[in-house]
Amino acid sequence: MSDSTTLADPAKPAKKPRKTSFTKALNDALDIGMERFPEMFLIGEDIGEMGGDFAVTKNLWAKYGAARVRDTPLSEAAIIGTCVGAAMVGMRPVAEIMFADFLGECYDQIVNNAAKVHYMFDGQFTAPLVIRTACGGGFGGGPHHSQSVEGWFLNVPGIVIVAPSNPADAKGLLLASIESDDPVLFLEHKALYRTRGDVAEGYYTTPLGKAAIAREGTDITVVATMRMVPMALAAADELEAEGISVEVIDLRTIRPYDAETILESVAKTGRAVVANEAPKIGGLGAELSARIHEECFYDLKAPVGRVDGLDTPIPFSVPLEHEILPDQTNIVSAIRVTIEAGR
Amino acid sequence: MERDTLLGLYSDMWLIRAFEQALEREFEQGNVPGMLHTGLGQEATQAALASHLKATDCFFPDHRCHGINALAQQRHRGNGERIMAELFGKATGVCSGKGGSLHSADPAAGNFGDNAVEGSYMATVLGVALASQLRGQPNVACAIIGDGTVGRGEFHESLNMAAIWNLPVLYACVNNGYAISMPVGQGHASADIIDLAKGYGFACDQVDGNDIVAAHTKVGAAIEHIRQGNGPYFLEFKTWRWQGIFAGEFRPEAEVKYWREDHDPILMANEVLQSMGVDIAKLNATEQSQRNMIEEWIAFAKESPSPDLAKATANVYVSWEVAPK
Repeated sequence: MSDSTTLADPAKPAKKPRKTSFTKALNDALDIGMERFPEMFLIGEDIGEMGGDFAVTKNLWAKYGAARVRDTPLSEAAIIGTCVGAAMVGMRPVAEIMFADFLGECYDQIVNNAAKVHYMFDGQFTAPLVIRTACGGGFGGGPHHSQSVEGWFLNVPGIVIVAPSNPADAKGLLLASIESDDPVLFLEHKALYRTRGDVAEGYYTTPLGKAAIAREGTDITVVATMRMVPMALAAADELEAEGISVEVIDLRTIRPYDAETILESVAKTGRAVVANEAPKIGGLGAELSARIHEECFYDLKAPVGRVDGLDTPIPFSVPLEHEILPDQTNIVSAIRVTIEAGR
Repeated sequence: MERDTLLGLYSDMWLIRAFEQALEREFEQGNVPGMLHTGLGQEATQAALASHLKATDCFFPDHRCHGINALAQQRHRGNGERIMAELFGKATGVCSGKGGSLHSADPAAGNFGDNAVEGSYMATVLGVALASQLRGQPNVACAIIGDGTVGRGEFHESLNMAAIWNLPVLYACVNNGYAISMPVGQGHASADIIDLAKGYGFACDQVDGNDIVAAHTKVGAAIEHIRQGNGPYFLEFKTWRWQGIFAGEFRPEAEVKYWREDHDPILMANEVLQSMGVDIAKLNATEQSQRNMIEEWIAFAKESPSPDLAKATANVYVSWEVAPK
């Protein structure tokens, strides 16, 4: 999916791909990063011997030791504060915040420190840290273990928000995030952890700030993130049978996002749907829709369609949760509406 | 204490006082934008800390720390006027005018900058300390916090984490009796912040923050303790700020008189020095010399240009440019 934009290390070429889970791809990226960067360390709750709540740091504590794979108490502000301070003096910390919902506990550290030290001290410091966190719903996690938090950070200059949709990108984007000199919020949708895909062995990076065209099409552009990407691809398959050709863009980096790829695609197709799991108001969908209208207005044959979560917290009961989260059916109908509106 | 050491600290305290008084004057004349929180009355605490912190150490100053920022800048970089220029929002400031009073930093002077969400850097200091520990460097990371800061959750997260990891952190708690208008004993379970710190099990001490001899000695002991690898240290300075609140003075008259007249750190040091045989004329000359230097800094700040407007969008990201207006 991302082959065209994947940068291999010429000194250590990536080997042939093999089927790997999203979780294992992330684990590989951390392992490779720890080998390449002696001043990289991992920090978070239960990431040590236990290997993390979702097993992303599995075996790394045994391999790299407790000094570089650091278990912490339930102190998210101190976890991210530790990362910011260490990053300010040149280390490369990678934090795990077990559930994205807990980011509220360290919001100040991210928004007022990580995102601003480079700017407010005018370049005297950088904050090369990564905050990995498990986000998203669909599994009965309830109001505080299921949220999509990209909107919480979308309005924060200085932060990078990365959101992979498949194992190959998860690995390449995580390595690129580790190497980035900017602070990265790395979103891992929980429903994707067990998905599998072709992942090249060894070191490679997938560039930040670059979207991928996950599927080419001519009638309509769907811009999607994380779990909405496989749903959009399935929707495209479904509509192909009806003669609708859907181009699917996997945004991959939410901030700063790749407007060029989106706008080029919409200029070609003349129609767009933006698909994001978070609540509708003030989120990524609103931003992308506004941008497309602003810059592609005269190319558009119909208003931009939107697929989002409903404007509610996430309920626990699974039927209720399914009611509020967007799915493939919502994408299919948004595409149909947008196509019809433009005829 | 040696006479010359005390003379040096006396001079440092005058640098701080002269800096703050000149700044206050300029602020009232409308020459300094934003808000102003001065460290007047707390000069001994800041001079004591500055005298022991090396350029290779790190300190996170609080909002009343112009003085220690200027001292460290002058001592380690030889250009204290850049702190003044920063407060005027000028291009020659340490952060090109982008940080201001609440965010003046220069890592080469050990100054890692304030976060105006007071207490936020109690978490940040852990990372700097951890880096020193992992790299085997004997550096101290110091968080200068106020009594009000203790109300933040980061206070407890930080002390706990520093304790379990034995980090080289100096918590310099400047207890000036009030968090804006809230008396310390009303805002916290104890008016002695040390009582809240003791539960974390590492070395704690208190000192009269206006007694420069005592403060200098105790800061020295704390920093030595940390450099020897003995882990964190909590040192509470009992002091008092001259500045009232926006509405004016709100504290009891007797309290104001005690701290401003009977327990002024500079007057106290002056008396000790005279008892050591230092001539009053020499002490007056020290004051005048610092006041003269500060007026030069003020002139430098006023004459400096405003930042180039391109600075407004510079350094948001390392890897991406932000488009100008």
